[in-house]
Amino acid sequence: MRTQEPPPWDVDGPVRGEVFLVWLNDDHLELTGPDGAVPWIMQLDDVEHPVEAVDRIVRGLVGAPLVVHSTSWRREGPAVLLSFVAVIGPEQAAGMASEPIPRATLARSEATRAPSAIGHAQVLEHGIRHLAWLAQDDEAVAHRLSPDWRRALGDYVPEPFRSLP
Amino acid sequence: MTEPMRLRCACGWEANGSEEELIVAATEHGEQVHNMRPTREEVMAMVITDPPDD
Repeated sequence: MRTQEPPPWDVDGPVRGEVFLVWLNDDHLELTGPDGAVPWIMQLDDVEHPVEAVDRIVRGLVGAPLVVHSTSWRREGPAVLLSFVAVIGPEQAAGMASEPIPRATLARSEATRAPSAIGHAQVLEHGIRHLAWLAQDDEAVAHRLSPDWRRALGDYVPEPFRSLP
Repeated sequence: MTEPMRLRCACGWEANGSEEELIVAATEHGEQVHNMRPTREEVMAMVITDPPDD
């Protein structure tokens, strides 16, 4: 029997959130989410602040995140996609499919142009480098991350100090 | 008795059941996971159908 499948039901709206739900599994970082180890897509409106919306939705599904931080944005089709890294604990990741996060090269833009193509792995790489920088520079973020977390982030060169002469 | 139906979200989430069960499940999934409330029409448009064998 063949199966006729319509286009899958999808999030719409001009502004969307793309949440990378990350956690520390012993000594390495993993990506998880309600849909598995993929970016978690959600709709954002013009009323609630995007960070508050992401915090609320993550909190509602797996409990309060340790950190929520917006790390980049890009245009995707008709929408603007805001990317977030949300840090959760191991007990919150239990029951959801999860995979180690591989390293990736960054998507480099030109001086006045966006990169021609950006993959999810590159967005996540950028997000974790951003988090690594925050762990050193932002007291609120550093305070929420354990020494083990900060050690794991030590492998990610802080973005503001990378590739500069 | 109506045939159970199957629905799939773009994120991979699936649900099986009657029309009313799909509406309830998809609405809950949309609100909890994607911060959106799909209309009945949007839910039913995404039902996967299995045509009879040729």
